[in-house]
Amino acid sequence: MDVNRREILKALMGGTVAAAVATTGMPVGTAAKPEKFEADPTALGLMYDATKCIGCRACMPACQNANGLTPDVGGSGGLYLQPDTLNAHTKNLIKLYVAEDGHERSFMKQQCMHCADPACVSGCPMEALHKEPNGVVGWTSHLCIGCRYCQVACPFNIPKFEWDKFNPKIVKCELCRHIVGTTESEPACTKVCPTHAVIYGKRGDLLAEAHRRIKAKPGFYFEDHVYGETEAGGTQCLVLSQVDYIHLGLPKLGNQSPAAQTRKVSDFVYRGFLTPVVVYGGIVAIVRNRWKEHLKHAEHGGGEDTHGEEKRA
Amino acid sequence: MTGTWERCIRLREPLKTRPFLLFAGLAGLGLLIGLYREAVGLGYVTGLNDGYSWGLFKNWNVTALTALGSGGYAVAVLAWIFNEKKFHPIMRTAVLTSLLGYGTGMLALGFDVGRPWNFVFLADPRTWNHYSVLWEVAVCMTAYFMLALDVENMPPFLERMYRSGDPKKKDLSMKFFKFMQRTFPFGIALAFVLPSMHQSSLGSLMYLAGPRVNPLWQTPLLPLLYLLMAYILGFACVLLVLALSAYAWDLGWDAAIMGRLAQVMSWVTMIWLAFRFGDLVYRGVLVNALNFDKFSLYFLLETALILFPALLLLSKAQRETPGALFRLTFLLSLGGLLYRFTPTTLAFSPLGDYHYFPSTAEILMSTGFTALAVAVFLYAVKTFAILPASQGKIAAEEAMRPFDTL
Amino acid sequence: MLSEVISSTTEEKSATFRNGVDRRTFLKIVAQAAAAVGLTGSMAAKMVAAVEKGARPSVIWLHFQECTGCTESLLRTSHPGLAEVLFDLISLDYHETLMAAAGHQAEAALEAAIKKNAGNFILVVEGAVPTKENGIYMQIANKTGVDMLKHVAASAGAIVAIGSCASWGGVPSASPNPTGATGINQLLPDKVVVTLPGCPANPYIFLGTALQYVALGKLPELDELGRPKFAYGRTIHEHCPRRAHFDAGRFAEEFGDEGHRLGYCLYKLGCKGPMTHASCSVLHFCEVVDAWPIGLGHPCFGCTEQNVAFNLPMLKPAEIVRPTPPATYAPVTAPQGYISPIATGIGGLLVGGILGGGWMASKKIAKKEEPASPGVMRSKGDTTGASGKE
Repeated sequence: MDVNRREILKALMGGTVAAAVATTGMPVGTAAKPEKFEADPTALGLMYDATKCIGCRACMPACQNANGLTPDVGGSGGLYLQPDTLNAHTKNLIKLYVAEDGHERSFMKQQCMHCADPACVSGCPMEALHKEPNGVVGWTSHLCIGCRYCQVACPFNIPKFEWDKFNPKIVKCELCRHIVGTTESEPACTKVCPTHAVIYGKRGDLLAEAHRRIKAKPGFYFEDHVYGETEAGGTQCLVLSQVDYIHLGLPKLGNQSPAAQTRKVSDFVYRGFLTPVVVYGGIVAIVRNRWKEHLKHAEHGGGEDTHGEEKRA
Repeated sequence: MTGTWERCIRLREPLKTRPFLLFAGLAGLGLLIGLYREAVGLGYVTGLNDGYSWGLFKNWNVTALTALGSGGYAVAVLAWIFNEKKFHPIMRTAVLTSLLGYGTGMLALGFDVGRPWNFVFLADPRTWNHYSVLWEVAVCMTAYFMLALDVENMPPFLERMYRSGDPKKKDLSMKFFKFMQRTFPFGIALAFVLPSMHQSSLGSLMYLAGPRVNPLWQTPLLPLLYLLMAYILGFACVLLVLALSAYAWDLGWDAAIMGRLAQVMSWVTMIWLAFRFGDLVYRGVLVNALNFDKFSLYFLLETALILFPALLLLSKAQRETPGALFRLTFLLSLGGLLYRFTPTTLAFSPLGDYHYFPSTAEILMSTGFTALAVAVFLYAVKTFAILPASQGKIAAEEAMRPFDTL
Repeated sequence: MLSEVISSTTEEKSATFRNGVDRRTFLKIVAQAAAAVGLTGSMAAKMVAAVEKGARPSVIWLHFQECTGCTESLLRTSHPGLAEVLFDLISLDYHETLMAAAGHQAEAALEAAIKKNAGNFILVVEGAVPTKENGIYMQIANKTGVDMLKHVAASAGAIVAIGSCASWGGVPSASPNPTGATGINQLLPDKVVVTLPGCPANPYIFLGTALQYVALGKLPELDELGRPKFAYGRTIHEHCPRRAHFDAGRFAEEFGDEGHRLGYCLYKLGCKGPMTHASCSVLHFCEVVDAWPIGLGHPCFGCTEQNVAFNLPMLKPAEIVRPTPPATYAPVTAPQGYISPIATGIGGLLVGGILGGGWMASKKIAKKEEPASPGVMRSKGDTTGASGKE
């Protein structure tokens, strides 16, 4: 292992200025050129370097225990912790990618990406999924109606639903926010990772560290690109990999967040509720005249005749 | 043709016919399975999964069928904004189909959400996320149902109250009727603005899914296309219901109303087609239609079902032939429903390798909700004066029993 | 004399008589003893200091419902050997198996030891205590086990329950437990009792605990059942040499089959390793490598755990409480979702029905509503009710 804990801590602690420089002036390879982002550099996140992951999966039982989840034993009859996808019992998953001809392989750690401008938060009717002040995307049970729009909205298909429960929850990584800051200083997965393949910190620092690694080994990481720097408006959980990110299940995304795009369309139509009010006023004006005319006609034709009521509706 | 519809009548037919019992039975079955779903959770009763988390209830009963339930909205536009007075006799039928379409749609939605007890918090404005399209749909549909639709459907009910013979009921119904008279323009404007908002929002819902909806459907124009399709399907539903009712109960055939409805419907479809294809060409994805993968086949089917009937309905001859009118409207509504349904399910490809088909229980529940609408419709038209009738039918009814009794 | 009795039974190292040993050898012995149980060199020095001061702590060892297996297992240690322990490190003042005295003389020795070392002696208990019918099922010198335990424990400095019997009841407590055999910690609820379950307990766990107490004056860190965490902190499953076979799915299916001969995992033969906290997999018995159940090819039966040993069937597979991933990985995308063929059929029928119904309706409407050719009487039309289409 060429990067030890000391170096990481040094990078994280001293990286704020570097982060500012890195996020604005970093030469990116063939990936989309980042525009001006509002991604908060102090927001918390993870950085997963797939080239350091040895696939030990200590992070999986650690996550299960820290979150009190019932283990997903898959088809193993209770023998193993064997989920094949994130689900209502699995907030964190290590997957293995092997190329068809076997010439490349990589592990991939999948968990919520904690987007800078999350689509799930934008779609949630009562913001049960919300962004905490420190950037973590969390879920509140009493505001969730179980509509599952978050599952439709998430570009990474992260939120999972407890389909088999009478009282179902939305389950996803929340960066151990229930224990970080009180009994723990970092999430369970980063705490147990033996190679520090996944590390925890502020997005600015993590991004700086990622760029530092790319710079130290040019051409080593795929397209010299940090996944999550710009994708979907920037995510707080970043991924570094040697293989193409698409093979790891990370979709190719533009640098605009879906939430921002939807807001644009809404604003265009509604203009902050101005449009409905104006239209309402217009319709009232039009109908008023017709209604007066209709009443006059009914009076003349109807009188006490209850039949007349039937024509008006 | 002496089929002009002059006024609304209450059908004197027996309620418990075989079809009614069939629909009521299906509705009962659906509701029973719904209760079971509440007890055990969605996973056991539906084929939904984390990839396709929206299925038949949201995408069919709400998104697709409430478009059929936009009849009241669409015909009201013609009757009140464009001042086409001949539509007044069919307004009651139209708003009834709306009430039933929305009512059963919202019922399906109630069974679909996983944590319905938290709906109470929706009443607290501090929880509102006004950026959420789904929030807009939920609040707006509820407001429409509670403030506009039920009031619009009051007249036949009030009328029955008025005729009941009880002076208190007569008085109350008159009071309410006077209230409606005073507030009518405000009410109908609400009944225009609210459905405009949520029918278009139903389209915007899938915009947030971005690249996961196939490019043949994903566009920022989704709200407009969905709104126009709501008009088209609203007209179609009213046409189909009136045609079937006229056939079943000898109401006569009002060629002017039916023809005009079909004409407006076909024009709006042309406008819809213009936006649809214009958008596809602008975004450069029209070529995808010739891929002959499953998406292209859905697209071609949907386009065929919408384009050809609408083109044919532009012709007066077709509109004046009841059989052709019905057939073409039926095909057009199938195409329209397919359009409303497709971006949510058929054209939606979640990240990962997910497969979805509704389970048997899910199909039965969804059919049950729709059957409930039909059963209540049958009940309503035989209890209240809703369906329009031509002179011949009116005379026949009057011979059976005078009109100033219940 | 006590030492003579012992020396005639131990093999070598008889030169460990306190009087006949030089300081260098003595230091070596103590260092060995400390190392064997994981104490550092500095603690060995403390032990030496304590022993040289002449402060060999008093140990009182009580036997109740037991097979004496734990004492026997203690006899089979060599680093330190029991002789070294007895003569150089502790003062064993009462032990029914090893002491020469008997009868009233033994009881007197017990009382004397209690009085002399009140508050300081280590009480070691081997065996469960029967509690039914006021404990008459085990009496020594007309005193029931319960009374004896309470009497001695009242003035003990540290209390150690060695073996499963003393820890939670062991084999005497197996259903239907006719004597009401219980572990001693149940009978001493207000005292700290170190429990060292096992059947027998691994002697080195006892030595480690006792010597740490001797050297540092305090007990090792205990879990909620009073078991030292250094020995009982992990399950057998968590540090089993055959774990790789488990993770890879290589199991012995029957005794003597190919997998069994190749040393595969014994989970399917009922190994209770996943449910059993113990250190047998790293600390073998009788000073013979692989002298522990799994090492010899027999599944662990959970002798340290109250709800496993003498309770669950030996050959019934264990429950895995904290499963971990196997040797295979999840793919990047795994297919999800189930499509029911029946539902597909019903869906198809419904769609077909709607299409057919619509078509039929259009035909009927055409027939009824379209103007007939002149001269043909139009029928009033059948009133069979709505064809039922929206």
